[in-house]
Formats: sequence, structure tokens, C-alpha cells
Amino acid sequence: MEREDADGALDSWAQFCTLSNELLAGDGDLAVGPRLAPVVGDLCTRGLATLVRDYFLHSLEETFRNHAVKKFWQHFHPYCSASTVDRIKFCVKEHWPEEILSKALEDICLERGYQEKCVLVLVQVLQSYEDRMPRKKIKEVVCSSSLMPRYQLMVSSVLLTTLPLSFPDILNIYFKKKLEELNSIMAGSYESDQLVDHEPFQRSNTSDWHSGMDIDGSEVSENSSLVKNIGKVVRDLRCIGFTSMTEDAYSSAIIWLLKSKVYELAGDDYRVSVLWCVKKWIQAVPLQFLHALLTYLGDSVDHGSGSSGLKSPLASRPSSFPGIGVPSEALVRWHMRLEYFAYETLQDLRIGKLFEIIVDYPESSPAIEDLKLCLEYTGQHSKLVDSFISSLRYRLLTAGASTNDILHQYVSTIKALRTIDPTGVFLEAVGEPIRDYLRGRKDTIKCIVTMLTDGSGGSGSGTGNAGDNLLEELNRDAENQENADYDDHANIDEKQAWLNSESWEPDPVEADPLKGNRNRRKVDILGLMVSIIGSKDQLVNEYRVMLAEKLLNKSDFEIDSDIRTLELLKIHFGESSMQKCEIMLNDLIDSKRTNSNIKTSLLKSSQTVPGQEEAEVSHDVLDATIISSNFWPPIQIEDLVVPASVDQLLSDYAKRFHQIKTPRKLLWKKNLGTVKLELQFDGRSVQFTVAPVHAAIIMRFQEKSSWTSKALATEIGIPMDSLNRRISFWTSKGVLTESAGPDADDRTFTVVDSMSDVNKDSIVNERMAEYQMTEEEGESSVASVEEQLKKEMTVYEKYIVGMLTNFGSMSLDRIHNTLKMFCIAEPSYDKSLQQLQSFLSGLVADEKLETRDGLYLLKR
Amino acid sequence: MKVKILQWHAVASWTWDAQDETCGICRMAFDGCCPDCKFPGDDCPLIWGVCNHAYHLHCILKWVNSQTSTPLCPMCRREWQFKG
Repeated sequence: MEREDADGALDSWAQFCTLSNELLAGDGDLAVGPRLAPVVGDLCTRGLATLVRDYFLHSLEETFRNHAVKKFWQHFHPYCSASTVDRIKFCVKEHWPEEILSKALEDICLERGYQEKCVLVLVQVLQSYEDRMPRKKIKEVVCSSSLMPRYQLMVSSVLLTTLPLSFPDILNIYFKKKLEELNSIMAGSYESDQLVDHEPFQRSNTSDWHSGMDIDGSEVSENSSLVKNIGKVVRDLRCIGFTSMTEDAYSSAIIWLLKSKVYELAGDDYRVSVLWCVKKWIQAVPLQFLHALLTYLGDSVDHGSGSSGLKSPLASRPSSFPGIGVPSEALVRWHMRLEYFAYETLQDLRIGKLFEIIVDYPESSPAIEDLKLCLEYTGQHSKLVDSFISSLRYRLLTAGASTNDILHQYVSTIKALRTIDPTGVFLEAVGEPIRDYLRGRKDTIKCIVTMLTDGSGGSGSGTGNAGDNLLEELNRDAENQENADYDDHANIDEKQAWLNSESWEPDPVEADPLKGNRNRRKVDILGLMVSIIGSKDQLVNEYRVMLAEKLLNKSDFEIDSDIRTLELLKIHFGESSMQKCEIMLNDLIDSKRTNSNIKTSLLKSSQTVPGQEEAEVSHDVLDATIISSNFWPPIQIEDLVVPASVDQLLSDYAKRFHQIKTPRKLLWKKNLGTVKLELQFDGRSVQFTVAPVHAAIIMRFQEKSSWTSKALATEIGIPMDSLNRRISFWTSKGVLTESAGPDADDRTFTVVDSMSDVNKDSIVNERMAEYQMTEEEGESSVASVEEQLKKEMTVYEKYIVGMLTNFGSMSLDRIHNTLKMFCIAEPSYDKSLQQLQSFLSGLVADEKLETRDGLYLLKR
Repeated sequence: MKVKILQWHAVASWTWDAQDETCGICRMAFDGCCPDCKFPGDDCPLIWGVCNHAYHLHCILKWVNSQTSTPLCPMCRREWQFKG
């Protein structure tokens, strides 16, 4: 019985094997099916169903591996075995991956389709067997329905295990090429599209896509056939279980294309906004493509080829919800994903070039606007801060950059970042290194003040852009302040207050809680500038010195622009701190009045006295600036003997002043002022504008054509060394020549009477040339801030020395605090730590003190 | 060679030619101004009494007006009369 059974089973088995081999080898011939049924049924009743299934699948796998798979990979063999250099050649070929890929896919799908049919045959057989079986054997039913999934799993696993490493590359190249092709087709229609519709892109996505699709049929057909081809390839790939790999390949190709598009559009031109174009392009090209592709694949799902269970969640949706009319969820997701990527790419590009963008800031504001939008979307502000700070450190905060440039860049940075982030949080972070660096530079205050004052009205010489900008800023801030005041004090009714409180927003997360809330962080350029210096007093003081310098060197009384600057500064720093400057300007106004007053009265009297007419210089040439010296910064006074004729004029003038303004008197500062001279040679004359000292020197040469420096110094009443310094002005102009004198340190200066002999070639002297003294030649009439400080600090030297005698050695802080504690009587100690430090280092340089480990001690 | 002066723009400072440095009332410099004034010089003049003591005009006026009886010079206590 058992033996018979076994023989029967072996017979059936042998029969099954032959039949199934026949089925698999048969070229599309499914006629074996009906013959297979009884054999399988027999085997199943013997309980060999699993064996049947496994054998069948196994032989399917054998066949598939040996024929289809080998053939499939052979298509790609030339590329995979090629070296990297040769691979590039493949990429250049026009139809390279496309032809081969579609052919290979077609083949393998054909094979797979046939095999699927074979599986179906077996499934049917098994099913019919199961139908005949009683219900209780239901457990075995499982085998028929699980056959198909198992087959599909087998196919993809066989392919994946034999996958050459470079196959994903091939896919990638394929999609890149296809997308580029599509892009160039779309670009044409997209541009013509742009001409047609000027509507902003806010139109709903759907209508945009559809209008794009419907507008002109020719392009649509062209690109729809392209998309259809791609769709077919994608479907085939999915079919053999490469869903996720395909997905990867086309999304990376899209992203790559998007990236190159952003780079192409953005480039190095910051004067145009590109964000809109990028968005428009995303809608026009990749989304159109995806829409078409997803629709195509969505349709194909009905034909039953949607096979894989390995889809990514993003891809699984379109097959079940094809986008008809309403953009499908997947498409919306793609849209968001692509836009985010575009924003991020553009943002990274702009952040990398932020330094350059800010350098030409007012022109580059479109780029800044773009960056602002990008950052709002991506929220990667910290990236901006980090990268910008490092480029600042590398490119700006170096010894090579001039303080003016740094300040200018700082102002542009403030303006640009204010656009990006009105709360000023990031500006604070970025500005900190710049401020720190500027504090370490000596000429910072001076440069800031120059920036503030130089642009005044444009009447001054050499108005820099920076100055103009800053003054303009001051102006605008002044207006804003008025508005703010209005807001603060004018009737804020309850409703407004409620609205204000409702519009409150928390600080960005990046805000440093130590630095106060947003209200205090108002972005005010001048305020930020002052914060570099430390206190407004220092700035005001520097301004006063510069103003004094400027006013004392004026040869007229035109101060309108200075008054304007002063008014603006008053708004910012308060009236009281600008009081002294106001008095200085007032002195100029008074001087103008007094001057004309005195001159008219002097001229009248000179007409009545006939002797005066013979004077070589008339009262007409003398103008005077009369200052209230208590309110001016300390002025450099030097004795100077002016020529007798001028001296006479001066004393006449002073006498007249005394008469008009009794009992006030004039004290001349003879070394200050400006003199316009004309040197007359034989038939030729040259004009100069010089300081009184220079005038006094050259006028001496009228009496005598050559002087020794010793004699001249005594005559003019200035020390020898300062004479030698001053006289070089005239020698450099070729008016005087220098030759060895009676002594080694006594030189002889002779006037070059016929200047034409010496400077025959010089064209400058041929005509009436006018020389203006340059800054270096002119000398400052006002003591600089440092000198003032040194003078003021000298008082404390005794205290410091006393302290150090008692305590031995002290730190800077301790000296500072002790001085603050004990020097409360006049003059009370009001200097900053930095000022004390610079004074102490002066003392160290003078070898009065020494430092050791940050402690100061007396030099023994 | 001849030098012709086209313009000589000189600088001078003014001073009240008082014997003292500061006003005895407000202790501010004579060449400055009294605490109530903003601008020195014409706006805030000095005035001398017959006793030859000088004060800011505004200071001494305030003083004179605050006295109920005959005003005296704050320095020498002689009767205050403007020098004239």
C-alpha cells in the first residue's frame, strides 16, 4: 500500500517536473496548463502542496536568473566595467542610457510578464483544487494566494543581489538627461508664457499647471510624449522592484537640476531679485514633470501593474490618488520640498557671499530681500551669523583694512541686517566682533566724527559717501525720533494700547536674554556708533576738537553746514552736551558781525588820515575770528613776531575792538589763522595760502634776500627747530634755497629771485598757480584729545606714585577704584579705565613705572 | 621778490579786563557766563561797582534785587553803586 503510494507520488512528481519545465521553457505557450491540473491535484492530495510550490518557484528563479537577469545586466556591462574616464564618454553619447535602458527593461518585463502568467496558471490549478477540498482543510488555502507575492519578492531580490554598483548612476544620468531635455522644452514655453501672463504667481497651483498645459498644444504634446517615455521607464523599473531606487534617482536629478538652476539664476549679480524666478521655474518645470509623471503612473495602476510593496510613503500615494483637477497630496508635498530646497540653496549661496553683498549694499538690496525671505522660510539665521562673522574676521577685521572702511562696512551691515531682521538680534551678534575690534583702534573716534561731519551739506571739500550716508541717517533718525515721541506722548487711547499689546511677539529664540528685550534693542545707527566709543562725551569732545580745528582754519565765516550738523547732533546728544560747540559757532557768527563793524569804521578813519594811505597793507586785508577762549578746547599758543606792518594792523584792530566793546580787550593768537599771499617775481606771481608763521618767514625775505636760520629764528621769535621745520615749506615750493651756513646747525636760506631759472620746465609755475597747504604741512591749532587727556591726568600722577609707594604694586582696577574713592574733591576723578590705562602706559614708557604680571609698580 | 598780502585772517580771543578771574557771586569765570546765560560776551556782560569790584551783570542784579535794605557790595560791604 505504502509502496504503491510512494510510486504513485514519484510518478506524479516526475510528471509535474516535466510539465512545469515545459511550461517555463515554452515560448508563450500556456497549453500545458490543463495537463498540469490533475498532476498537481494528485500531489496536493498526497500533502505535497508546499513541495510543489517551492519547486515551481525555484525553477522559476533558475530560469529567471539564468536568462533574463544575465541578459539584463549585459546591457549595462560596457558602462559598468569601464573606467571612470571612459564613463564620461558614455554620458556624452546622445541616446546612451535611454535606448539601452528602455530596451533592457522591455526585455526583462516581457520575460517577467510571461513568468507571471505561468505563476497564474499554477495558482489557478491550486485554486481549483482548493475549491474542491472540504472546508476543514482551509489552512492549506494560504498557499495559492501567497504564490504571487512570493514570486514578485523573488524577482526583485534576484535583481538586487546581482545589481552592479554603478546601476544607480546610470539611472541618475538617465533622469538628468531627460530632465534637461524637458527643461529646455519647457523653458521655451515658460518664457512665452511669461510674456502672455503678467499675473503674479499667487494664482492657485492647479490653475497654473493646467493653464500651462493647455496654452499651446504642440509643446504639451512634445513634452507629454517625453514624459510618457519617462513614465514607462519608471513603471518598468517599479515593476521589477526598483521603486525606491528610481525614486531616489529622479528626485536627486530634479534637485540637481534645481540647484544648477538656482546657481544659474542667482550668480554674482546682487541687483536683481531671483527668488520669484526660481519659484516660477519650479512651477514651470519640475512640478509639471512630476504632475505628468504621477498622473501617468496613477493611470497605470488600474492595469494591475502596481506591484511592489516596497514603495516609499511619498510614492505610494499618487498611485492610489492620481491628481485630477486638484493637485494631489504628493504633488503638494513635492512642491513644498522643492521650494524649501530652493530657498535653502539660495540662502546658502547668498550667505556665502554676504560680505560682498554688503559691500555694495544699497545696490544689492534685492539680494538682501531674497535672503530675508529665504531665512524666514528656513529659519537658519544662526548659519548666517556664523558664516558672516568668520568672513568678517578673515576679510575685514585685519590690520590691512582702514578704520574708515571698517566703519563704512559696519554701517552697511547695520542697514542690511536691519532689513533682514528688524528686531536686531542677529545684528547684535554680528556687530559685536566689529565693535570689539574697533575699540582697539586708536583712530576710531576720529573716523566716526569725520564720518559724521564731513558729509555736511556737501559744501566741504572731499565729501565722502560714508559721511553723506551717516548724515542722512542722522536726519532720518531725527524724524523717526519725532514720530516716536509722538507715539509715546500723544494720546494713546486704550484701543491703541490694546492693539500694541496684541501685536507683541516674543524675541527670536537666538536672542541673548542677557542683552535686554527688543524694546531696548532699537536699531539706531548713531547709537551703535556711540556704543563703540563707549560714551557720548568722548565723541562730543572729539567733535569739539575737530570743529575747533576746522573753524580756526577758516578764512571766511561760512558755517551754515556746521550749524546744520550741530543741530542734528543736538537732537541726539542733548542740548547741554553740545553747549560748548554752540558757543564756538556763535563766536564765529559774532566775529563776522564785529569784523565788518570794525573794518568799516577803520576804513573810514583811514580815509581821513592821509598818512594811512601810504601803508603797504590796508585794513581791508585783515579779518579776525574772535573766540571765547574758555569754551574752546585748549589752543596751541606760540610766540610769533609778525611783520611790523601787519602788527600795526592788528593793534589798530584791537584798539578799535576795545572802543566798540569796552571794557573788553582782544588778545591775538598770532600763530593761528590763515594768510593768503601773492609772491611777485619779475613779471610773474604765485599765490599761496599759508599759516601766519610761513607768512612771517617769507615776508622777512623782502628786506634781505638771504637769512641764516639763527638770525631768522630770533627775528621771528620762534625756536630754531620749529623754524627749520616751517621753512622747509618754502624750500619745497622752490621759493627759497638752502645752503650751508656759518655753523653746522646754522643754515643759510636764499630767495630764488628769478624762479623761472630754476623751474623753467615746471608748467605749474608758468601760470598763476595757487597752492593750498595740505593737511600734513598745516599744523594743528588745537591740542588733540590725547594731549588734553595727558594734561588732565598729570594731576593724578602724584596720587598714583603715592599709592604705589604705600602698597608696592597694584592692579589697574585697584588704582582706578582707589582714585575714584579718594579724588572726589576738585578736580574729581572722572576718567575711564581705558583712559587711565593709556596714561599709565605713558608713565611706563617714561620709565616712571613698570608692569609685572599686570601689576603696576614704581621703577627703582 | 615782493610779497603782497591778499588776506590775513587772524585769530584772537577776547577777555573782560577784570582784575579777578571769577565772579564773586556765581564763582564762574568772568570770561564765561553766569549760570543763567548760554552765551558769554555781549549776552552776559560784566559790571563794575564804584568800589571797583566786578560781577556778572545778571548776578549782581539778582543780588541787588534780593536785598531789602540798601544793597551792599558782596565783597567789601560798601554800598553798591554802579560805576558809571
